[in-house]
Amino acid sequence: MNMMSATECLLQMSDEHFELEDYQSGVPRWCTGCGDNAILAAVQRLCRDEGLRPEKTVFVSGIGCSSRFPHYMKTYGFHGIHGRALPVAEGVKMARPDLTVFVNTGDGDCCSIGAAHWIHAIRYNMNLTVFLHDNQIYGLTKKQASPTTPIGTKSNTTPRGSYLEALNPLTVTLGVQNVSFVAQAVDWIPELLFDIVKAAYHHKGLSFVRIVQRCTEWLPKAFDPWMHDPNKVQLLHHENGLQLSAGLARIYKNQLQHDPSDINRAREIASGSDSMPVGILYRNPDVPCYEDLRHSDKLRTPDLTRAGLNAELDKYTVWPQEAKEKVA
Amino acid sequence: MEADIQTHVAFFLTGRRPSEHLDAVDGLELRPALFAGYRELTQLRYDFPLVLVADRADKLFVQSLSGLTDSALGVAARGSEGERIRKHVLRLEQEIRTLAAGGATGTFSALWDKAAGRLAKGADKSLEDSLRRARAAVKVDGEVADCDAALPARLLRHAWSAVQKQKCEGFRKDLDRLVQKLSDILKADFERSEAGRSAKHLKASVGTGYGDAFDFDAMSRLLAKALPKDEFPESRRRRIRKLLAVLGAQQFFPSPDAAAKKAAAAKPYSFLFEHCADALAAFRERMPKLIELAKAIAIAELEIDGQYSESKHDALFEQFGGNGLDPQDLAPFPDYLVCVNAEKMQAVEHAQLMEILSSGLPIKVLLQIDDILEESPNGEGSLTVGMRSRQIANMAIGLNEVYVLQSSSSNLFQFRERMLRGLTYRGPALFSVFSGASAKASDLPPYLMSAAAMESRAFPAFTYDPSAGPNWAARFFLEANSQVDLDWPIQGFAYEDEQHQRVSEDLAFTLVDFVASDRRYARHLARVPREKWNGSMIPVDESLTRERKGLPDKVPSLLMVDANNVLQKVIVDERLIREARRCREMWHSLQELGGVHNSHAEKLLARERKAWEERMQQEAEAHTAVAPAAAVPTAPAASAALAEASAPAAQEPERSPDEAYIETARCSTCNECTQLNGKMFAYDANKQAYIADINAGTYAQLVEAAESCQVSVIHPGKPRNPKEPGLEELLKRAEPFL
Repeated sequence: MNMMSATECLLQMSDEHFELEDYQSGVPRWCTGCGDNAILAAVQRLCRDEGLRPEKTVFVSGIGCSSRFPHYMKTYGFHGIHGRALPVAEGVKMARPDLTVFVNTGDGDCCSIGAAHWIHAIRYNMNLTVFLHDNQIYGLTKKQASPTTPIGTKSNTTPRGSYLEALNPLTVTLGVQNVSFVAQAVDWIPELLFDIVKAAYHHKGLSFVRIVQRCTEWLPKAFDPWMHDPNKVQLLHHENGLQLSAGLARIYKNQLQHDPSDINRAREIASGSDSMPVGILYRNPDVPCYEDLRHSDKLRTPDLTRAGLNAELDKYTVWPQEAKEKVA
Repeated sequence: MEADIQTHVAFFLTGRRPSEHLDAVDGLELRPALFAGYRELTQLRYDFPLVLVADRADKLFVQSLSGLTDSALGVAARGSEGERIRKHVLRLEQEIRTLAAGGATGTFSALWDKAAGRLAKGADKSLEDSLRRARAAVKVDGEVADCDAALPARLLRHAWSAVQKQKCEGFRKDLDRLVQKLSDILKADFERSEAGRSAKHLKASVGTGYGDAFDFDAMSRLLAKALPKDEFPESRRRRIRKLLAVLGAQQFFPSPDAAAKKAAAAKPYSFLFEHCADALAAFRERMPKLIELAKAIAIAELEIDGQYSESKHDALFEQFGGNGLDPQDLAPFPDYLVCVNAEKMQAVEHAQLMEILSSGLPIKVLLQIDDILEESPNGEGSLTVGMRSRQIANMAIGLNEVYVLQSSSSNLFQFRERMLRGLTYRGPALFSVFSGASAKASDLPPYLMSAAAMESRAFPAFTYDPSAGPNWAARFFLEANSQVDLDWPIQGFAYEDEQHQRVSEDLAFTLVDFVASDRRYARHLARVPREKWNGSMIPVDESLTRERKGLPDKVPSLLMVDANNVLQKVIVDERLIREARRCREMWHSLQELGGVHNSHAEKLLARERKAWEERMQQEAEAHTAVAPAAAVPTAPAASAALAEASAPAAQEPERSPDEAYIETARCSTCNECTQLNGKMFAYDANKQAYIADINAGTYAQLVEAAESCQVSVIHPGKPRNPKEPGLEELLKRAEPFL
């Protein structure tokens, strides 16, 4: 490791230190007991521990309960349109690679209307941290089946129980070219949730974290089997992945040593239906980021911007003189 | 016979040469036998001449002529015509080599054209076609440099310029970014000011097309009302302007638009020097400016990031650079290059060179040595083979923080990456190069002389790179020398004897061979006429390994060839042998530094081997003495290790079931309990719940919180107030959570 020069030290000496309150904005309007609160707490803790400067941090979301997330962060935020959290975040990252960009999206937002953007965002592998708040239901619009709703679930759109097998966001993500980070967390194990969120943040590339999240209002019992039986949750650990604390290891006896660089094993684990894997399934730091591939050395001066804009607008300009000549 | 040997021994001991038995070598044009094949260098394919490729700062900054030809042939000489093209192009290569050896200068493409022009006379069309096709495959161009007196400085300057150019581009890009961003801040400030929102300015910014469509006075009035309350501090404005002035006035790198401004911009500094004193003086004189610039860059970074805070940073930056700058801070700035010639160096210059090397400053020094066999200043008889010139490189290694490269000209191409490493090293670097181009020594070409100096261990090649690792094994590189583990490299030598039979033998190339090619040392040699050759004449390397007791009975001799390539035997006097012995000792110490025959390692190895053998011996004895039934006791270490491994993990505090508590680490922040009673339950710094005040609520609330907790981490314990109503039912409800 290179030593820091005296000037570098000087530049960092007066870095500010932040408290949790510096990231808190308003009281969340999520239902009491909602799993989103746990995610918010973990993310705020991450921001504080990593000393992320609020003015250099952006949370981008789409539509849904989860997508209210940016409102509760005292950072920059973009409450986008349904299914388009990822494209907006990619635009932010492309224009301002110096910002730390997080994406909060839900199972409806990401896996239904935003599915195309999801696939391509994985392939572009831009340096974003994406949290899929998966509560397996449309909550904001009061209980309609989403793509991840388990088969047989009764909802307002499926009064006789849903007909289709639920979509598995992990296997989908692991199947896309250029995938570089996939993890799964559950909101009811906050310690692991935080560890996974932290690992995702430190990964350079698109880190996709599916967070299984309880909806106390519309599917209050959905995850009871896993919550009440720790053996149904399988903790993934490895020297290159997460390390389990003694306390966790005592409660969760179902553990699996899994090397996150092994994508085939990751796909197997993600496809299994016996127990719910929690941990880092796949991580490959060597996949190039799109913003790096397309990075231009050119300094973006006002002239350059103006010339670029003019060139773009000229494509749509009708030149009366030329048109006349053509007719003639 | 006896008389001959006596004459030889006498010559060996005294250097006296009686004319009837021994000939003087002066005027015989003898050269070491191993040089026989190198009479006409232009007929050979070797590294030289070199092409100094423009605009490359990687290892391709220099390429050999033969390398370039080969890569062109790899592309062009394919298919059925491949062989024809190959022949033509190799002829052209030879022609270019002849031109370069004849002193022709110019770019590779110019020499190519010239050589092609010469070959074309009287040649058929196919030659033209071959050369055209090969030419299309050559993608690079640059000055051609042959191995001559000017080569070391030329090559190093070329590499240095490439490295500096790359540095300059990086610095320029950084500087442009800083200037752009700082100007943006000032511009944004202006747009928010009263002047920026004046009708006139607004009109100007909309442009001519739609100028009439707006009422700019009204717009200005409206915008003026919305002027931001928080004033842009005047001190910040001043600071940014000052930064821009410093960044604009820097002279360390040429500015691209300097030509346009001409008088306005100050001339960029030069970093090329011919005297150590000048370089040192320039460095010291420019230091304040350099600190000012480095400081401006650091502050500009903070400004752009919006992090500069006057209360904190003003004081910090006031003393910036008070202790000078560390190598990392100096790294983005240009390095100084000083080219000096050892022959012209006076004592003062010598002292300044050592000052540079010991100062840790980013100054690179080329010390060119043209003659390593110079006569000692002490006078007659005292030889100082390579001493004066070699001592500087050895002293520089001793300074520990200097990158040192020692090499002959002939080996510089092989050391090209190491040259670059020295130039990019953050600190002083010394390039000690023997050019072999001393007219005083011999008429042999410089390439041959420099190669012979390296081969004979008179001027071994090595590098010492302090940045390569913490120890000698990582830092010191000696492997460039041939047959590095031997005292002298051994080469096969074949010749035809008087009966026209082929004879092959292995010859060691020693220091004496190298010295024998220098005409100033002719008096230490004597040719033995063929009829006087006898068995007491032994090769020099053999003579060096013999321990002499009493009167010598063998005389060291050399195989040499004359101008007609006829083999001659020459005997050597003791003076040269003594010198060769000293050279060998110096080579030994270099070998040790390079980890070859390292005495410490060998000592350790011998000790360990002895211990191992003793142990084996003892075991063997024990084995034979003790009956096979006797069991060998083993230490019960395994069980202890096992016990250690299963040591219990961190224990949680023991809780009494009567006490109310929350498993805080498992809380999922769902707000259930805090909404029930915000005084009783509170969040900690990680936003996880704990019981803040057990007395702030009722037992009923505790039980209710435990029931509604999503992850069941609340344990209500036993009621504290026995008079609370409905306790019996509450206790029943609390049971699952105790």
